[in-house]
Amino acid sequence: MSENQASAGPAIVVERLVKRYGDVEAVAGLSFSVPRGAIFGLLGRNGAGKTTTLECCIGLSKPTSGSVRILGLDPTSARDFAALRSRIGVQLQSTSLPEKAAVGEVLELYAAYYGITPRAAEMASRVGLEGKLDRQIVQMSGGEQQRLALALALQHDPEVVFLDEPTAGMDAFGRRILWAEVEALRAAGKTIILTTHYIEEAERLCDTLCVVQRGRIIAEDTPENLVTRYGGDATVCITADGFSPDDALRGLGTWAKAKDEWQLVTHGEPGLALAAVVTHANAISATVRSLDMHRPTLEDAFIAVTGETIGEGE
Amino acid sequence: MNVLRMFAVQTRMNFLWYFRRDGEMMFWTLAMPVFFLVLFSFAFSQGPSGRSATFLVPGIIGAQVLSSGFWGVGVMLATFREKHLLRRVYLTPMPRWIFFASLVAYRVTLLAVQAIILVTVGSLLFHVRITGNPVAVLIVLLLGTATFVSLGTIIGALAKTTESANNIASILTVPLAFISDAYIPIDRFPHAVSSALRLLPSTQFIDMFRGVSVDGASLASYGVWFAVLVAWTIFGTVVSARTFRWV
Repeated sequence: MSENQASAGPAIVVERLVKRYGDVEAVAGLSFSVPRGAIFGLLGRNGAGKTTTLECCIGLSKPTSGSVRILGLDPTSARDFAALRSRIGVQLQSTSLPEKAAVGEVLELYAAYYGITPRAAEMASRVGLEGKLDRQIVQMSGGEQQRLALALALQHDPEVVFLDEPTAGMDAFGRRILWAEVEALRAAGKTIILTTHYIEEAERLCDTLCVVQRGRIIAEDTPENLVTRYGGDATVCITADGFSPDDALRGLGTWAKAKDEWQLVTHGEPGLALAAVVTHANAISATVRSLDMHRPTLEDAFIAVTGETIGEGE
Repeated sequence: MNVLRMFAVQTRMNFLWYFRRDGEMMFWTLAMPVFFLVLFSFAFSQGPSGRSATFLVPGIIGAQVLSSGFWGVGVMLATFREKHLLRRVYLTPMPRWIFFASLVAYRVTLLAVQAIILVTVGSLLFHVRITGNPVAVLIVLLLGTATFVSLGTIIGALAKTTESANNIASILTVPLAFISDAYIPIDRFPHAVSSALRLLPSTQFIDMFRGVSVDGASLASYGVWFAVLVAWTIFGTVVSARTFRWV
């Protein structure tokens, strides 16, 4: 494949990827493709096979079968991997740096690895570690170490960025920093693939999401489409003295009554249904005791697709 | 240029990081060989003796070369893998040999400091004289370091955990120091035993080092052993390169 062809194709192509550890099939035939400039998420519980998939993409794990191409290069080939390493940036879940290394020293060393001008102070302040260049790894919180790992992944301005559970162990401050960096990478046209078990993060950051369960992709779409396709119907619940739906309201969906509460399950826009329900209650002078609307969320879609909550995993 | 800079920065960081880490241990690393020298010099000869110290100074330096390769490099690499330090480095474009070269640079410098201290103490207390050609002495010391670093790297490659690397290194280093002519002259053993022990690369290295440093022998007179150590080094390097795992 020529250089030009290679640079025109998708950033990441994974085909029928299988990774077995003994009898355990961590990844069970998984295929996806990430166009350049996209932000792609693997969403699933811990142990679903997300990290293994990512490790196969960056050459840390050798696929049992199937193929991986990053920027047209094969990470299992020594020559391709050598060409690839300077073009990707990686934040690993289990990042470990020498305990006695200081922030500024690590950034300087990694600048040397990539042959770039050191910009330790700038990188440190980008990840909220300004003024902490002398801080040693052993003195840092887990979140601070994660932010340093992010800086190491981004310092050399890579084309493709791999983030494995990037906000695990981070506080709200760390999450805001990571999210801002992802937005900056999006604006710069970089490709990002990230794994997460945080629904909110997946929804907020990713253009395309794959729901991964037991080593397989069981749904793939934009976050909005996943909600529309799998999230189910919206509900409106009202408790009001003397309330009962009229024919117009019955046309909006299915009504059910439990104790004093009426519940409407509607396929339509729940905001409009809510307005109609309130208008009707007022028209018949029913005093509203409680009112609740639930629009389907990505979490509903996740539960519908996987049959389980995302929780903290096994 | 980039490669030189990588090597320079990596080596500087090795010194900064491992010195900080080994801070408390550094005293013992430097003091223990001196303690052995003084203790054994008295023990072997009912009083301070130039002869036994002249035997011990190169012997103890040689034993330090062994433990530097097996512990300092072998066990350290297993620890680095277990702590996931290696996999992070593996993902960078740094050429693999730079990582090992800078580790060796760190170890060689420590060995040089140990050797200087031992020779100084030996010459002040026991009138030990390094009479050999300094270039030949240095060549033998570097070859020995290369041999035992390359063999130690095999431990780092094959041991699954730090614990097993530790066990392998202990089993090798401690007995070898006693049967390789480092602390005890193996000529005191029956001839068949000492001849057999001279087949060990550790014995060959220590005898050769003692020969060229204090016994006034020429490097040429050790031509065969020199070649054998080169072969061991090639063997260690090839096996390490084939079996080393970064992940």
